[in-house]
Amino acid sequence: MTDFRIIPGDIPLPLPTMGLEFMEPFFHGLLIVAWVVHILFINVLLGASLASVYFNSKGHKEKNPIFDRVGYLLTTPVTISENMGALWGVAPLLLVSILLTPLFYSSSILISPHWLHIIYGNVVAFLLSYLYKYTWHTLEHRKTLHIFIGVVGVALFYTLPLAFMSNVQLAMTPTTWTYTTNFWDALLRPDTFFRLVHFYLATFAVTGVFMLVYGMYKRRSKDEVDRQAGIVLTRTGKTWFIIPTALNFFVGPLVLFSFPDYGIEAFFANGYFWGIILTVVLALYALYQLLKDFFNDDIPDRRVWTVVAVMVIAIISMASLRHGMRMGLVKPVLEASHAKTELFQKESMAAFEEAKTKPKTYTQGDTYPGKTMAEKHGCLACHSERVKIVGPSYRDIAAKGYSPEQIVELVYQPKPDNWPGYMPMPPMPQVPAEDIKVIAEWINSLK
Amino acid sequence: MFDYPIFEMPFIGHRLLFAFDAILHVFISHGAAVGGSIILVLSQWLAIKNNDAKLDALSYKILFTFFILATAVGALTGIGIWIHINIINPAAIGALLRVFFWKWLIEWIVFNVEMILLLWLFLIWKKHSLGTPGKKKVYKLLVSYAVASWFTMAIITAILGFMMTPGNWLVSYFPAKPDYLASLLNPSWFPSLGFRTFWSIAWAGSMAMVLSYFFTRDDLELRKKAMRLYGAVLLGCIPFIIAFGAWYYAQFPQAAKELFWMGMVTRRFAGNPEYATYVTVILSALVLLGAITFYTKPKQAPLFLGIIMLIGSMGLIGGFERVREFVRKPYIIYDYMYANGVRVADVPYLNKTGYLKHAAFVPPEFREVTDENRLVAGKYLYQMQCRYCHTVNGINSVKARTKGMSEEAIYHRIGSLNSPATPFMPPFTGTDDERKALAAYLASLAEQTPANVYKQKLDEVSK
Ligand code: HEC
Ligand code: HEC
Repeated sequence: MTDFRIIPGDIPLPLPTMGLEFMEPFFHGLLIVAWVVHILFINVLLGASLASVYFNSKGHKEKNPIFDRVGYLLTTPVTISENMGALWGVAPLLLVSILLTPLFYSSSILISPHWLHIIYGNVVAFLLSYLYKYTWHTLEHRKTLHIFIGVVGVALFYTLPLAFMSNVQLAMTPTTWTYTTNFWDALLRPDTFFRLVHFYLATFAVTGVFMLVYGMYKRRSKDEVDRQAGIVLTRTGKTWFIIPTALNFFVGPLVLFSFPDYGIEAFFANGYFWGIILTVVLALYALYQLLKDFFNDDIPDRRVWTVVAVMVIAIISMASLRHGMRMGLVKPVLEASHAKTELFQKESMAAFEEAKTKPKTYTQGDTYPGKTMAEKHGCLACHSERVKIVGPSYRDIAAKGYSPEQIVELVYQPKPDNWPGYMPMPPMPQVPAEDIKVIAEWINSLK
Repeated sequence: MFDYPIFEMPFIGHRLLFAFDAILHVFISHGAAVGGSIILVLSQWLAIKNNDAKLDALSYKILFTFFILATAVGALTGIGIWIHINIINPAAIGALLRVFFWKWLIEWIVFNVEMILLLWLFLIWKKHSLGTPGKKKVYKLLVSYAVASWFTMAIITAILGFMMTPGNWLVSYFPAKPDYLASLLNPSWFPSLGFRTFWSIAWAGSMAMVLSYFFTRDDLELRKKAMRLYGAVLLGCIPFIIAFGAWYYAQFPQAAKELFWMGMVTRRFAGNPEYATYVTVILSALVLLGAITFYTKPKQAPLFLGIIMLIGSMGLIGGFERVREFVRKPYIIYDYMYANGVRVADVPYLNKTGYLKHAAFVPPEFREVTDENRLVAGKYLYQMQCRYCHTVNGINSVKARTKGMSEEAIYHRIGSLNSPATPFMPPFTGTDDERKALAAYLASLAEQTPANVYKQKLDEVSK
């Protein structure tokens, strides 16, 4: 059995399944689908924003308005996918938060404060991307500045997956947790590294497919420059898809075998292996389709849609096997976590019931109403009759010979200057004056 | 909480870290999205009715600003609130998610609709000019967008209301069985929703006024029209804000009402609750001065009045959110969970068996207090129970708060954190040994070394 050093507890509230059997599998299914949508938008965001800056500077350098147009056209998918990508990240977050609470929350905390980069880094990148887009025409004659804004925004966007990937990778490998694991430990591991490479390559491949579709529409445009831009998009889309996809055939196995052994065993035992085969076959088929029309700028619509459909299935298959790998890795620790929480709850309930029936222990103040009152209002936390604790002893206070009215005043607005060397007493305006007077009688009786 | 790793935010502390994101979100989302969409519906309706191309153009400029703010800052900081509690108080957000999952999922679906409508609206607005049938479509989109963004706020308000006034949401503690409907229909939901809705509109009105000032530099007639419109909206909201606010306040638990004034003036001035009234009156006066001047003298009113109107509104909103967060103390979910993630019902058990014993991310050698590990164990206890509201050296520093106290005095003080003197602090949870360890750690911070203690004694003797 694998050794889990750290077993976090779970939230002691039931899963919101509404008592329906199928709800939990449904949650898992929804998680996969929402995650695919999220990641596709993020891919397009990353790919299109980089391509936009690339074509912008190419257009500037070669004084070619067509490349400039390509860059500009690509800002629209960037706007849409940054918004939709963030939005569709919420659903997976919601589901992971209830299905994998102890793992995901723990890993988020382990990599903090860097985890907050996905908010603050994102806000800045967002604003830069808007600035880049809406100054396209105003900064026409200050291209260097404009390209610089674009580059900074893109660079920032590309740092966000580092935080995400470390978190996700850490959450699914609880065997690797130590008491001091931090962000850099998680980021600089080979498994995280290979997954990042795999992810960035997939980003270009997905953006390539997107460009094929976008180019297909633009090639039908009435505007000549748009039409030319459509051709550039189509050509770029092909290369962006083909090269990264081919590379990922090699990176994929590295990712798979960098997981802990017990996870890989569970993965194969549960038949997820077939998912890999399916994905590879589909990707090969898509490559073949595109290679057939590699030198044809007027690639038929049917071909483009075939590639889209095939790749969507391949990606869903990949997402499912990714989820399968994750569940295989976390199942033992999740089960232990649930059992631990249940035991805790049982024992806690016993103590809770016991405490309810046990009478309060302090009653010795009964003879002095003032002392009971002081106990009730928490004065005795800081004052005792004879010795100094937080505040001066009541005997020392009594020696000052205040009247009850003065004591009321002093409780409402303490005068720390009267007691150098002590911390100031917090004002306690909520204690009724009559009660303080009763306490004051008692204090003064201690002289 | 003992189930999770420890993340410490030095100097600024967790509360400020969280507040920074949350307040940014509130300013932007309530203003630019919720209130802003309602303001835009009104302007658009008037522009279409009077076939007023200038007002239409102005509305687009305001929409553009609101769009940038709402999508880049508002939406992300909204997710950010979640991410922040995620690492600050995982036990609390975990519990809230389990109780509010379906409401949150519905909210997310509506949020999708909201975002798609907004993107769509924004991308087609300019394609349809006034007087064309397409403009009607734009207007309908705008109305739907306003409804959707209000709806997302309505659900979040239910969750906020729940944290303060959960009502009878827990059918049984062990095993925990929530009543999902009761948690949604908690007592402060409707009043707080009304309160938030109207101040969002008023706040968006003040934003729109200042924006219009910039966008109408060379068209004073248009400025007059805009100021009259948005000014009327702002001023018209005020009676509703007051009425809903009073209804909302009436729902507060008694203990929260008692903390109300302290929440407003901070503890340093707790003896002077009247300061709260002064501050509120001054801020309201700034808002009214700006709004009324812009309304009555739109062409002459200077920009600086608009700026102080914004500052006044932000002060009032920020103050409200601060008070709302503060009066809920010592709880994060009233009567169920303390602000430091300890469930109320678990306290007897933890006091009996020890807190560190259950701490999954504390190395095993520190789970039992011994003479050797006392200070480190104490530090873990501080980190798990106090750092939600305290820092070591920065804001609300425990070092400063325990300055001049002997280890024994600190020990006594720890035993009564939840006393009437400081009702906003949760009680210390753990065994007597653990309490001593925490006291030893806190005393070590202020360097109350034995030597210092003797020096202090010497001072007392020589006095
Ligand atoms: C948080 C700890 C604390 C609590 C609780 C507390 N006190 Fe004090 N008290 C002090 C300290 C410290 C001083 C001395 C410094 C000062 O006066 O500010 C003090 C001083 C006093 C004095 C002397 C004031 C003077 O200026 O000479 C009186 C009287 C007194 N406390 C009464 C009370 C009563 C009555 C209560 C309960 C309602 C109470 N205290 C609760 C800490 C506390
Ligand atoms: C819910 C938030 C919260 C938590 C949790 C909390 N405190 Fe506090 N604490 C406060 C606030 C607020 C103050 C008052 C600060 C001020 O005076 O402005 C305070 C004040 C104090 C003081 C000074 C008390 C006085 O009488 O002036 C001490 C000592 C202290 N805290 C110790 C602790 C310790 C130890 C823990 C952990 C076991 C803890 N606190 C947990 C909020 C909290």
